[in-house]
Amino acid sequence: MESASVTARPSRARADVIREFISKYGLFAVLLLLPVAYGIQDLRDDGDLSRLATNMKDGLSNGAIWALIAVGYTLVYGIIELINFAHGDLFMLGSFVAFSLMGTVGLTTSTGGIALFFGLLLILLISMMACGALNTMIERVGYRPLRSAPKLAPLITAVGFSFILQNVGLLWLGGSHHGVPDLIESQHRLFTIVGVPFTNGDILALAVTAPLVFVLVNFINFSRIGRAMRATAQDPQAARLMGISVDTTISFTFLLGGLMAGAAGLIYALYQTDVWFFAGFTAGLIAFTAAVMGGIGNLMGAVIGGLIIGIIQQISDNRIGTEWTPAIVFAYLVLIMVFRPQGILGEQTREAG
Amino acid sequence: MTTAEHEREAALPPRGPAILETDHLTKQFGGLTAVDGVSFRVPEHSIVSIIGPNGAGKTTFFNMLTGLYKPSLGRVIFDGEDVTTKRPDQITALGVARTFQNIRLFGTMSAVENVLVGQHARMKASVFGSIIRPPRVRREEKDGREKARELLAYVGVDKRRFDDVASYLSYGDQRRVEIARALASDPKLLLLDEPTAGMNPQESERLTGFMRKLRDERELAILLIEHDMKVVMGVSEEVTVLDHGEKISEGEPAKVRSDPKVVEAYLGKQG
Amino acid sequence: MSAIAARFREVRAPGAAGGPLAGRLLATGAVLFAILLPFGFDSGSGFIEDCTVALFYVVMALGLNIVVGFAGLLDLGYVAFFAFGAYTMGWFGSGWFNSADIHIGVAEQAARLPGIHLNWLLILPLAALIAAFMGALLGFPTLRLRGDYIAIVTLAFGEIVHTTAVNSDEGVFGIGSFNLTNGRAGITPVDKIDLPLVERFTSLELRPWYWTALGLALFVLFVNVRLRDSRLGRAWVAIREDEVAAISMGVPTVRVKLLAYALGAALGGMAGTFYSSFVNTVNADQFEFSFSIFVLAMIILGGLGSIWGVVLGAIALTFINNRLIPDVLNDVPSKVGLDFDLTELGFGIFGFLLVIMMVLRPQGLIPESRHKAELAAAVEEGELATEAHA
Repeated sequence: MESASVTARPSRARADVIREFISKYGLFAVLLLLPVAYGIQDLRDDGDLSRLATNMKDGLSNGAIWALIAVGYTLVYGIIELINFAHGDLFMLGSFVAFSLMGTVGLTTSTGGIALFFGLLLILLISMMACGALNTMIERVGYRPLRSAPKLAPLITAVGFSFILQNVGLLWLGGSHHGVPDLIESQHRLFTIVGVPFTNGDILALAVTAPLVFVLVNFINFSRIGRAMRATAQDPQAARLMGISVDTTISFTFLLGGLMAGAAGLIYALYQTDVWFFAGFTAGLIAFTAAVMGGIGNLMGAVIGGLIIGIIQQISDNRIGTEWTPAIVFAYLVLIMVFRPQGILGEQTREAG
Repeated sequence: MTTAEHEREAALPPRGPAILETDHLTKQFGGLTAVDGVSFRVPEHSIVSIIGPNGAGKTTFFNMLTGLYKPSLGRVIFDGEDVTTKRPDQITALGVARTFQNIRLFGTMSAVENVLVGQHARMKASVFGSIIRPPRVRREEKDGREKARELLAYVGVDKRRFDDVASYLSYGDQRRVEIARALASDPKLLLLDEPTAGMNPQESERLTGFMRKLRDERELAILLIEHDMKVVMGVSEEVTVLDHGEKISEGEPAKVRSDPKVVEAYLGKQG
Repeated sequence: MSAIAARFREVRAPGAAGGPLAGRLLATGAVLFAILLPFGFDSGSGFIEDCTVALFYVVMALGLNIVVGFAGLLDLGYVAFFAFGAYTMGWFGSGWFNSADIHIGVAEQAARLPGIHLNWLLILPLAALIAAFMGALLGFPTLRLRGDYIAIVTLAFGEIVHTTAVNSDEGVFGIGSFNLTNGRAGITPVDKIDLPLVERFTSLELRPWYWTALGLALFVLFVNVRLRDSRLGRAWVAIREDEVAAISMGVPTVRVKLLAYALGAALGGMAGTFYSSFVNTVNADQFEFSFSIFVLAMIILGGLGSIWGVVLGAIALTFINNRLIPDVLNDVPSKVGLDFDLTELGFGIFGFLLVIMMVLRPQGLIPESRHKAELAAAVEEGELATEAHA
């Protein structure tokens, strides 16, 4: 009878094994490339890693902004497989709303602690709600009618909305960069740890982002609507048959994404003390890169991706030059797509149809 | 051949040279082993069936034969050549063609155009040839279309339907077009994945007759996945049974049908 | 089946062996009209200039049509190939590399100038090759990606090219100090086209430019039509429809996709050489993302994959953008008593048009039957899904 499969010669092509290895570790290698290279340079030049560490700290703070925006991309993509092109510009409008409200609420650089705190909290809430509402409206008008059309259609609509929102920004505050009053003295050094200065801006980024992410993750994992979102993301048909209102769930997802973008807008305005109508375009692409890097559709992935991209961006800004940073970040995007399209936390997709 | 291999050969019924052979073919998806060490051969110019309960790994096995899945272990040898790591289009060019369980025609193309795509590997027009269209390319196109129409007629599609968009053809016609498209590449081995699904007994009968015609007139070998036992028993020269990814029985139809292991796999343990 | 889906249905497939006689006559008539058009206007008129630019966009749109319309690969970075073509012209057809002294095929005056000066007819294939190579290079990472991911990767590539163009006046990526592109200031002047047997082109006489552009457009049109009804064209439709089935039928999907990218890129590059000579400059501001979307909008407006539709879309959008909005509509606000410049709304209006287009008529002006059928199938599927819920 059948003898044991003694010499079932493994026929995995060497190329396949190499490809898998590269997929798993190649991405990490590529991500570590810049920090390690500059770390070595620092040790040579300065004798310590404090410059690199500062880069990374700054990167994490910036990355918090990207993380919040990336969350919006990843939630929407996870549920309807659409790249919401207009999301970056939504963030930009969020920063505009935040900036304008600062004047309305009467916050100035001389406003004291308690008043400032509550003033900013109010602005945060309004910015979030404005962006949430806008995102929901865009979905209703531009994406829902095209839900069953080939993917090209809603993508073009998204680009159209992106242009519209950019134009709104242009008309609102003009084409040049607009300074924002440094309400929280974002560059003020609060304390220094191992040679790395932590500023007010860093604390702000952490203080706003951490709770929001925490609440969001718990919400999605434990609430009824969160369950509905996850179910719809996995299988809209089945979700519908289980009585979940897919339309409402999708609208809600856009709402959540918008809320996060609005928060990111406020942080950006305060941290960078600058707003610009075109900031959304680059921000959008950077945040999308982050979402993909972390694993599109995966919430924690978006957050982690945002932080990593922040670090890369900061190192690039500081060492190579801000003008090259977009190209570097996009080069990373291409590399991720080549080595590991499912991202860090994503699952391997099936091989054949 | 080693002693073990000699013994294995002797245990099997005598047949001609093999057009297709697999050697301990295995496919693992993460923790799940879908196909486990299946060694198997299809003799030239024969009709062989693979049967087994749902989830036995039959389509996964097919997909490894055509190169859509890369095997985790084992080899696939077609017409004497190791094709284990070849791409699907390369394997088709070598002479393997297939149909799909859920019909996968190019819905917006006509029946003729579908069959023309099937001839892609046999046509030679290059990019520049396609643009300039020298007489050779023009002839190739003309001959290709004629061949497509012949094949469609051969499988039994009414010629009024030839230029109809494929997705609007009847189910039966769609199945026929799929077979014509598979035949378009002049294959030596035809893989049919549940070809009689959705057919009534007369249609199945006609299809089995057609399969014999293919084998005899076109000197093809045919490998089927089938659930319809009448078809399997009626047309197969040999049957192989898979269950949970393993080969549990093989041989002539009558012998396999009465194999207790097979009965158990389908009906569950008796008593 | 709903009324909407019924509108899309067309049981007969698009015939392959030449269109009906009426279609042929219409096409010939259109071409004749296009050839004779400049005679009705001053040779230096703004209208001829606009028409020439429109023809440039026709070539671009037909090039992108191969990638997006035929092969179904969502390319949002097409501007990159425009850039490659334009810079090829800038490097090899101007005084840019002024330490060199190479002249091939150029007339008396230019032959004395420093720099590399090749005849446009030589630069054309050179640019096509460079762009084709870059196209394949860009296509390579996208091969195993889903549609929307292809969009993002190609967009990223386009932006990388743009950023590089803007910043490469002092080294590339911070390496070296070579001035490759002169950033936003750009390379200017660029040699005028100099065809054999014809007087040298000038910037005052626009008719020769127009006819050259027309010639290029007709050539690209010819290439498109031939490819569509060929073995390669069918392969593209096949992989667009069902890649797994296509590869199982023997279509070498990798090669076929790379060919789409390369061919589309080559045409874009060729158009780029013409344009840079026409406007006498190559600078980084010409290569923004909005260009890619502009060209994409043309082929969507015209009807994805439909060759004549794409031509129509390109002409229409060029005139809307260059004429309708600035010249005609600009008066409207003041006439109604409002005080703002309509061109400030250009972007927004364009975005609005995109949204309206996709929501109301995604199949475009002259729909291509296959895409129509795809849309119909998708709409039906969507309707069945919502029916199941109701």
